[in-house]
Amino acid sequence: MANATSGMAVNDDCKLKFLELKAKRTYRFIVFKIDETVKEVIVEKLGEPTQSYEDFTASLPSDECRYAIFDFDFVTEENCQKSKIFFIAWSPDTSRVRSKMLYASSKDRFKRELDGIQVELQATDPTEMGLDVIRSRAA
Amino acid sequence: MAELSETYACVPSTERGRGILISGDPKSDSIVYCNGRSVIIRSLGRPLEASIYGEHAYQATVARFSPNGEWVASADVSGTVRIWGRHGDRVLKNEFRVLSGRIDDLQWSPDGQRIVASGDGKGKSFVRAFMWDSGTNVGEFDGHSRRVLSCAFKPTRPFRIVTCGEDFLVNFYEGPPFKFKLSQREHSNFVNCVRFSPDGNKFITVSSDKKGIIYDAKTGEKMGELPAADGHKGSIYAVSWSPDSKQVLTVSADKTAKVWEIMDDGNGKLNRTLECLGSGGLDDMLVGCLWQNDHLVTVSLGGAINIFSASDPEKTAIKFSGHMKSITSLSCLHQSGQKIILSSSYDGVIVRWLQGVGYVGKLQRKDSPQIKCFAAVEEELLTSGFDNKVWRIPLNEDQCGEAVHVDVGSQPKDLSFAVKFPEVALVSTDSGLAILRGSKLASSIKVGYTVTASAISPDGTEAIVGGQDGKLHIYSIAGDVLTEESVLEKHRGAITVIRYSPDTSMFASADANREAVVWDHITCEVKLKNMLYHTARINCLAWSPDSRMVATGSLDTCVIVYEVDKPASNRVTIKGAHLGGVYGLAFCDENSVISSGEDACVRLWRLIQQ
Repeated sequence: MANATSGMAVNDDCKLKFLELKAKRTYRFIVFKIDETVKEVIVEKLGEPTQSYEDFTASLPSDECRYAIFDFDFVTEENCQKSKIFFIAWSPDTSRVRSKMLYASSKDRFKRELDGIQVELQATDPTEMGLDVIRSRAA
Repeated sequence: MAELSETYACVPSTERGRGILISGDPKSDSIVYCNGRSVIIRSLGRPLEASIYGEHAYQATVARFSPNGEWVASADVSGTVRIWGRHGDRVLKNEFRVLSGRIDDLQWSPDGQRIVASGDGKGKSFVRAFMWDSGTNVGEFDGHSRRVLSCAFKPTRPFRIVTCGEDFLVNFYEGPPFKFKLSQREHSNFVNCVRFSPDGNKFITVSSDKKGIIYDAKTGEKMGELPAADGHKGSIYAVSWSPDSKQVLTVSADKTAKVWEIMDDGNGKLNRTLECLGSGGLDDMLVGCLWQNDHLVTVSLGGAINIFSASDPEKTAIKFSGHMKSITSLSCLHQSGQKIILSSSYDGVIVRWLQGVGYVGKLQRKDSPQIKCFAAVEEELLTSGFDNKVWRIPLNEDQCGEAVHVDVGSQPKDLSFAVKFPEVALVSTDSGLAILRGSKLASSIKVGYTVTASAISPDGTEAIVGGQDGKLHIYSIAGDVLTEESVLEKHRGAITVIRYSPDTSMFASADANREAVVWDHITCEVKLKNMLYHTARINCLAWSPDSRMVATGSLDTCVIVYEVDKPASNRVTIKGAHLGGVYGLAFCDENSVISSGEDACVRLWRLIQQ
């Protein structure tokens, strides 16, 4: 376990905001960033429940890595309203290799802190986290 | 959404010196044949519908419908036989590894329970007969020492199997379980084909020694032969009985097909000779035939399929053809008010197709060099092959005029016409660019990077050149002099194709790293990005005539159509357009896309607006 992690601490704020999303549904999405100076994962952006998937994809930078949690609402075949919590590891091809390595090695420990993720997804370009991909993973 | 509207199918793949075996289903009036790794089922009444089965891992050689028409058994060069359902999902019933080498012929027993397959067993068994559902052997087939070219199952009881091959022998087996009975040595050259008559009384063998011999089906004794006086003057490659068992059709390397009447005593009499319809060259050698209902179908070495009428000798034959090899490029032209589609393949064959009708003709050129790059405008074609020459061919409807060629110094990699002034053309080679005016090399420059794609604007004042490193270099052209203006960097792989939009306000480029980008022409700003939905290199790109849509075709067999005004995620994907990769794309009108690919077929898709 020692060489799989990179020793990044997780800020308590991340865990709190995630619990709020899970229990009280106060946010549609949360974007996390690794702050290298403080050496920990912090919350970068929060999304209102009214915001959509397009707003979420727009808030991810196209050349830097991020972690994200998205609460996806959909209707199943039996016509019931369901929602699933997605964990998205955003590692675009155009970002720096150092950044990709850092995020990849800290991902496991970070995910363990967030209890209740239903689907995990890794996206290396916008096509890999398109709405159709999310819908197919939700079902 | 896109739906398949028309398929201009490929023709059977042929080989000089060998016949091919095509078969059919009289009930649904379809024929089945193989090309490359695909098995093609075509309906004789509706030539624009062809269904293609591409599940073989190796080159497919022969395919047959089962007697009840529900299943198809197809075989390939690795010795595998696949039995699949004809309709619906083409569900695979069974797959057997029958021989250790290529399978040349396959036939079902009349009750559909057994299959006999013959071919090249590499020294071990050359023929095997097995149950269709379990694969268990139903006989021992020794007696051949070389490749067995054909086999046949007697259609009535008592069951017999006859095989014939390169060792000049015709072997007769009784069973089941099948055992060797006798061998006939009447032929003095390869015996190419053996077929039982539908009533089960006789069988006929044809050979490269130009003879056709008729035998009794129950005992295997020779009964008579086709008279040599009116006989063929070349190897006879295939034979087919008429449904009433009174006549046979034979095809030969002497470019004719003959219809013979077979009398009860086993002797034949020439009824009719079908002369060759082509120009009489090598491509007109006939290699395959089929007599189905009233149709006499013959296949030539060049892939042309001719359908004659059996009952009406005066009726002119219907002729259609297509490509035999992978189609490398496609373009859509307007000629005398009609939209003609031209497709070219690397072996130098250029075919003309008409929407709604299908095959119209092949363009005959005096020299037919191989074609690697191809561009076409209303009255002219520009082609280049694997040598240093670029050919300009004037086009008069369906005739090619005198071709002139220009030497450009090294192998051309890409060519384009300045659409508004067709006498100006841009040719790019590995290390440089050249401008052609008419049939003269007007200017050429060397560049410091490896050029992979190029395009010249419709008015001939600008050229965009793409490099191996993914950079797009924009040049302005003034008086045949190319000056580099700017460099655009966005692509992360070698550029494969660049195209200007018809209204020249935009241009689109695609690379080998699966990405396509639409740029604004004047400002060189990116207009549409994230067109990354392909999973393998993009081979071709086309604009719709109103410049609203862009289509990209890739090695991953998909065609994706994007709308320039909408985000890239609103794309229409056509999956599995061509087995092996899509190599040519063109729009023929606002809502139809034509694509062509490695499977030698051209398909027309209709885009349905939602």
